[in-house]
Amino acid sequence: MTQERDVLEVDVLYVGGGIASLSSALHLSNLVKAHNEQAAATGAKRLDELTIAVIDKGFSPGAHGISGAVMAPGPLKDLVPDFVEKGAPLEGEVKKESIFFLTKKRKLKAPFAPPPLNNHGNYVVSMSRLNQWMADLLEKNGVDLFWEFAGVEVLYDEGKVIGVRTGDKGIDAKGEKKPNYEPGTDIHAGVTVFGEGSRGNLTKELIAHLGLDQGANPPAFEVGVKEVWELPEPRLQPGEVVHTLGYPLKRDTFGGGFIYGMKDNMVSVGQLVSLDYSDPYLDPHREFQKFKLHPMLAALLSGGKLVQYGAKTVPVGGLYSIPQLSFPGGLIIGDAGNLFNSQKIKGIDLAIRSGMLAARTIFDGLVTDDLSETTLARYAKAVGESAEVKDLRKVRNFHQGMTKGLYLGMSKAVLQFLLGGRDINDRLDSKPDWRHMKRVTEKYGTASPSKEAIGEIDFDGKLTFDKETDVYYSGATHEEAQPPHLKVPDLNICYGKCTEYYHNPCSRFCPAGVYEMTTDEATGQRTLQINFSNCVHCKTCDIKDPFENIQWVPPEGGGGPKYTVM
Amino acid sequence: MNIAVCVKQVTDTEATAKLEPSSWRLDRSVTCILNPYDEYAVEEALRIKEAHGGEVTVVCMGPENATDAVRKALAMGADSAVLVSDPALAGSDAQATAYVLAEALKTFSWDLVLFGLRSTDGETGCVPGAVAEKLGVPLLSALSKVDIQGTTLTVHRETDEGYVAYECPAPAVLSVIKGINEPRYPSMKGIMSAKKKPLDIKDVGALGLDTTQVGLESAKTRVLSARSPEPRKAGVKVEDDGSGAEKIADFLTGAKLV
Repeated sequence: MTQERDVLEVDVLYVGGGIASLSSALHLSNLVKAHNEQAAATGAKRLDELTIAVIDKGFSPGAHGISGAVMAPGPLKDLVPDFVEKGAPLEGEVKKESIFFLTKKRKLKAPFAPPPLNNHGNYVVSMSRLNQWMADLLEKNGVDLFWEFAGVEVLYDEGKVIGVRTGDKGIDAKGEKKPNYEPGTDIHAGVTVFGEGSRGNLTKELIAHLGLDQGANPPAFEVGVKEVWELPEPRLQPGEVVHTLGYPLKRDTFGGGFIYGMKDNMVSVGQLVSLDYSDPYLDPHREFQKFKLHPMLAALLSGGKLVQYGAKTVPVGGLYSIPQLSFPGGLIIGDAGNLFNSQKIKGIDLAIRSGMLAARTIFDGLVTDDLSETTLARYAKAVGESAEVKDLRKVRNFHQGMTKGLYLGMSKAVLQFLLGGRDINDRLDSKPDWRHMKRVTEKYGTASPSKEAIGEIDFDGKLTFDKETDVYYSGATHEEAQPPHLKVPDLNICYGKCTEYYHNPCSRFCPAGVYEMTTDEATGQRTLQINFSNCVHCKTCDIKDPFENIQWVPPEGGGGPKYTVM
Repeated sequence: MNIAVCVKQVTDTEATAKLEPSSWRLDRSVTCILNPYDEYAVEEALRIKEAHGGEVTVVCMGPENATDAVRKALAMGADSAVLVSDPALAGSDAQATAYVLAEALKTFSWDLVLFGLRSTDGETGCVPGAVAEKLGVPLLSALSKVDIQGTTLTVHRETDEGYVAYECPAPAVLSVIKGINEPRYPSMKGIMSAKKKPLDIKDVGALGLDTTQVGLESAKTRVLSARSPEPRKAGVKVEDDGSGAEKIADFLTGAKLV
């Protein structure tokens, strides 16, 4: 058994194996291949024996890939021009779309889709499937893909990032080494690219360590909760898109629902809830279950079967929340860099575009043997000049305008649209999501709000499911014999102030039922039970805990959900 | 001591199992993994190799993408692998699988053949015994301990009451149970080196197999029907207000369990 820590030297390391990293690694390997073929003809210097590695905490390609998803195909077309012929897993081209405003029993159809939500020519895709497909292309290009390896520490050499350390394996619940203990590997890289997705644990640490967010707004997030269903008969064309606003979210909460038609009579239904909500009793999983109770949804799903469940946060802070994307030794791409268009609800195109621009910058640096900070900084400039990011400028205040809920937000959005993105103040203020939560008494005017006031429902097990059932359908598992990967440093806060002010909202905001406050009836002793094995890696707790008292760190590699169609 | 380890790629135990309604064959388009029981066999082989020297060869029969499972065994530390893969083999039952594995095992020399107890998808547990029979060597199944002195094996075979110790000369076929060891994790270096290790993919022709003995048509067993298990019903929750013990006793009596 290895006891010494291995050191692995690579040229380019991608941390996180989602669409941003996979696209970037694919583009880079394509550029290198083309360069070498040309070099063979012209006698120029080849880039031989180049090692490009991707690490990911998920069990297999796409296992942690989840999105709505509607994809604008432009960047993918630039990356793989013949993506249709190459069998990219497209569920369907968007040819029909509608927007509804929902009340509890009724629906009002918008006469046309507002320009930002016009999806004609886009594709409905499954993120897990797209990642699987892309991983196959990478294998063929000789890129080293390491699944089940989580990055747990950024390695620095005097302010320069030199790589990442992966997590130890074979540590038991008490933190002791098991007989199969395998220490993590130190991966040293010429360039380290962080493509960890929304609220990446290392990216968060990196941004703080290098002060990359100086002058930027704090990031802001929404959490998406989603199920894929199989219907007994065709009821929605593959590629058909429906967006909803209104029910079941209370009017001071921003968010919306979606219904996307997939192949084989499958349908993706989900709801996004902005994490700047103030209600300590809000439960995004429950709100999504209520969404399915709307007659339109209930009819659509009637007789159908739940196939898969998942949840994930989405970075919606917009242009002003984007950190500095390059630094000595590396780059940040995709959702990890908050590159997401919250108004269009789109990030895949930005992830692919930023990944490709990163690849181009790295390739130029490899050819000229100059991977200095100055070279890498060209990436950040190129991202800023890309059409996708220019688009972000037009919607730079969109999310912040929605903080007070949908109604006021919509009028602000219209105003911003007319002013080309400006609001009355050009840059709306923003505070971190966790600071928006109000105390129970402040929100409800009583310390014991009724079930009706909260909006609780009973789950019927047919159309609506409890968290345990849904988590089962996410395929989430973790090696049980390991320390919990949700760190709660100060339990006194949980049993004291958090109980008093907020009634322990972690048990509600977590869409996977990880947090449970149990009371011993005999002694009255309360215990925060952390069911870490349920965790679907959405990161809501790391964002929304009102005392910032939960830290999400990666569990042993391979743990987490096992998405295949999300 | 040269060791062959027979492994199988199975559908992920976490994935919902689906059967193809015409053939009742398992839909293998879901996530697939190295059969969890086989990890113990690979680990045991590697430990024997580390203690006594020799080479570990992985033997597998399966579709082309079974290379993933084979690569995992190589990444753990096995030296080389043989994958028998051919469309003609699809639908083979346990007997046919044993025939194919035995033929593959005849193509190189070994002192021990190791198996996991059974596969998590087929669950027959018959293959190790059938392979031993076809190779004409002793079978020691369900082992929780393997000791080797020279060419003599001392093993513990698990039973309901405890274990029975056996002694046996090599060559032999062994199957090991979960818990005999703690399988190691493939390291990154292991994964990289696994890509360069020899993996010999053989088809039916290359092994000179008799095609009348393999595949769905030739299977000596037939699946007549299949159904999903009934979803588990919610349990009864007994609240202890002082009479908890009584309520549990009533429940057990009611269910005729006591």
